[in-house]
Amino acid sequence: MDSCTGVEQDLDKAISKFNNINDHTNRVLQDVINQVEDLRREILKQPTNTPLSQTQSTVVNDLAVSVKDTVSQMSADHRLLHATVSRVGKSIDRHFIGEYASVAPKAESFCSDTNRPIMEQAVAQHLYRQGLEDVGDTFVAEANIQGVERTCTFALLQRCASSLAEGDPSAALQWVENRTQDLQHSPLPFTLHRMQALKLARERGVGAAIEYARAQFPAHAARHERQLQAAVCALAWCTPGAGPAPHHYHHLLDPKALGAEAAELFVREACALLRLAPLSALAGAVAVGARVLPALHDIRAKMTHPHVVAAWADDELPFEVDLGEEGGGYHSVFACPILRQQASEQNPPMRLFCGHVISRDALNKLVMGAKLKCPYCPTEQLPAEARQIYFS
Amino acid sequence: MNELKSLEHATLKVPYEVFNKKYRNAQRVLDVEARHVASSVSELDAATRRQPVTTGEIDTLLGGMVEKLTAMKRKASEAITEEVQAAYVCKKRLEHLKEQATALAEPNTPQTSLNQWRKVRLDRMLVDYFLRNGYYDSATKLADARGLRDLTNVDIYAAAAEVEAELRSQRTARCLQWCADNKSKLRKLGSTMEFKIRIQEFIELVREDKRLEAVRYAKKHFSTFEEGQLQDIQHCMGMLAFPKDTDVEPYKSLLCVDRWAALVRQFRSEHTRLLHPTRLPTLPLTLQLGLAALNTPYPFQLYLIIIICFTQCYKESTKVSACPACQPPLNALARTLPHAHCSHSRLVCRISQKPLNEHNHPMVLPNGQVYGEKALKEMVKEHGSIICPKTKEVFSMKSVEKVYVM
Repeated sequence: MDSCTGVEQDLDKAISKFNNINDHTNRVLQDVINQVEDLRREILKQPTNTPLSQTQSTVVNDLAVSVKDTVSQMSADHRLLHATVSRVGKSIDRHFIGEYASVAPKAESFCSDTNRPIMEQAVAQHLYRQGLEDVGDTFVAEANIQGVERTCTFALLQRCASSLAEGDPSAALQWVENRTQDLQHSPLPFTLHRMQALKLARERGVGAAIEYARAQFPAHAARHERQLQAAVCALAWCTPGAGPAPHHYHHLLDPKALGAEAAELFVREACALLRLAPLSALAGAVAVGARVLPALHDIRAKMTHPHVVAAWADDELPFEVDLGEEGGGYHSVFACPILRQQASEQNPPMRLFCGHVISRDALNKLVMGAKLKCPYCPTEQLPAEARQIYFS
Repeated sequence: MNELKSLEHATLKVPYEVFNKKYRNAQRVLDVEARHVASSVSELDAATRRQPVTTGEIDTLLGGMVEKLTAMKRKASEAITEEVQAAYVCKKRLEHLKEQATALAEPNTPQTSLNQWRKVRLDRMLVDYFLRNGYYDSATKLADARGLRDLTNVDIYAAAAEVEAELRSQRTARCLQWCADNKSKLRKLGSTMEFKIRIQEFIELVREDKRLEAVRYAKKHFSTFEEGQLQDIQHCMGMLAFPKDTDVEPYKSLLCVDRWAALVRQFRSEHTRLLHPTRLPTLPLTLQLGLAALNTPYPFQLYLIIIICFTQCYKESTKVSACPACQPPLNALARTLPHAHCSHSRLVCRISQKPLNEHNHPMVLPNGQVYGEKALKEMVKEHGSIICPKTKEVFSMKSVEKVYVM
């Protein structure tokens, strides 16, 4: 937020200065033009072949000097704005980071001749998955991509989702109708019906909405009691002339927010039903990458000490990134609780007799003579009783 | 540090560069117009000094001055309005960024709106990537489909697309015009664009067998050569002695038509360099970092095999992997990357893809394979026994033991 407001201040200053100078230039030039025109009229009161008198000549000269001064002052004024303009640029540089090479030294490799086509395949796949067949086709032709299927499944889903986002649930409702059985534990049908009811209330009046609710809501009453109550209550503020709704109904009465939420739920549920990943591979990876970058910048900023240079080894990112609930978590990762290292094939996880798991290296370090004491419970055991286990 | 600060530099910097350019342009317009007015002033000055002078003459001179002043007024207003508009483009993008900044600062923003903004960001990244790689049609279509013209550089790149199209049809006028417009900046970057174009025009003259004209052209444009260009000039001049279908190098490659494609590429990269602070678009960058963060050290080849086994044996109970680093085509890219650093275990059931924790305890089969308690129980309910998805061995629930992972 700070970074945005920082730039905004400088930018606003620049914009207001430019608006001022625009007005100023216009006004001053118009004044000058009027002055000259006045003088012309003054002079033309005499016939064109009379010689210019001494006083007139002085007036003309004075005017000439003032015109010259005004005009050159104008360009000088504009030149002074240079500082304001370049301050905006500096402000952008100060508040945003434009340098990636130091945190992602290998990034260039994705644009190499071998990797670029692979990446562009993923891009084309993503476009088709978004239901943007037209853009996808253009891209495939322009970038000359081979081997990407035009998947229709996603196109259909995305079309439903985008009409949902625009506030029209009918396509999605139809999709749901055909899969009532599979969706009986899902909140999706009720969300869609609710949206339709509220839409009817807006378009055809509360009566139509209530009629719709009577027909559709009972089937979902058991699972969504509270939400159902809220939806029906919200209808009270749908009549024309109703006062402003209380805060907790705002969400229900805002068709845009409701549509966006329903669209997301729809994509998630439909993908789960069809056993597909809800985000395209590209979107998933980019979302995670965008989370990683600030962390990398952070640590880069801290790592000025020469001792830490060694951490920029090639085979592991230098720290752990929390990928949130949606990103990551696709594979098991076992990190030995003793050594705080990821297990590997050379150092696999071992289950001790008591059930606790540590890595083999840690186990070897803990062996005292022929005996081993578990670091987490009082059990004493033989090292041979531990056995290797597999998380993947 | 947040995602805005680290990713959006170019979003603002590119329109700023345009703004800056418009400022310079406006300054030039003002200077030129001020000079014009000044010259008419000095004419007037000279006239009044040259006695005697008639009012008619003065009137004409004053009329000329009014004309110049009106022209200045019009041009100055146009130029400054353009500047202000360029500044408003910056402003618009900033507003878009602020939207997300406010949402991030507010703790109870619904996830939906954050996701929505991220979706727009991905589209912006894609448009940026398309533009910088010359996929202009795709960029325009995507920007139009998503209503992103203001937030992307489609309009800024429109001129570049025209220059490229012209170069591809072997015409140079617009490219030379572009070189002239950006002369000082190009010189600062050490650009050879203009020189390359000149050489190409010379080559075309030779190809058309207008050799005398070629020599004249060379006299005019090659005499101001810079360091390191002499050898190229020598090659060009040497070409004059050979027929246009010669097999002698380097003249053969100089006369090759592929040079036009190389010019297009060079133009594209120099145009981007003028506008963008960084060489790399954000798409490959974030994609690479994302894949690295999802990359787990041991091995996803194994994981893929498991999935295949799963889908064969347990079609009902498994999902196809959602991990971007596992799916083709991106898995090919992930293979070469570093993998995620991890100091705490993070276990996922290979059957249900659900996390393993105190609610879904990790359980080990007698063959050492670990799965989630819930998935195993469900399997028993369905099949009566446990079939290890990896080895296909059959076990009973009794032989399964708990595993404690700290």
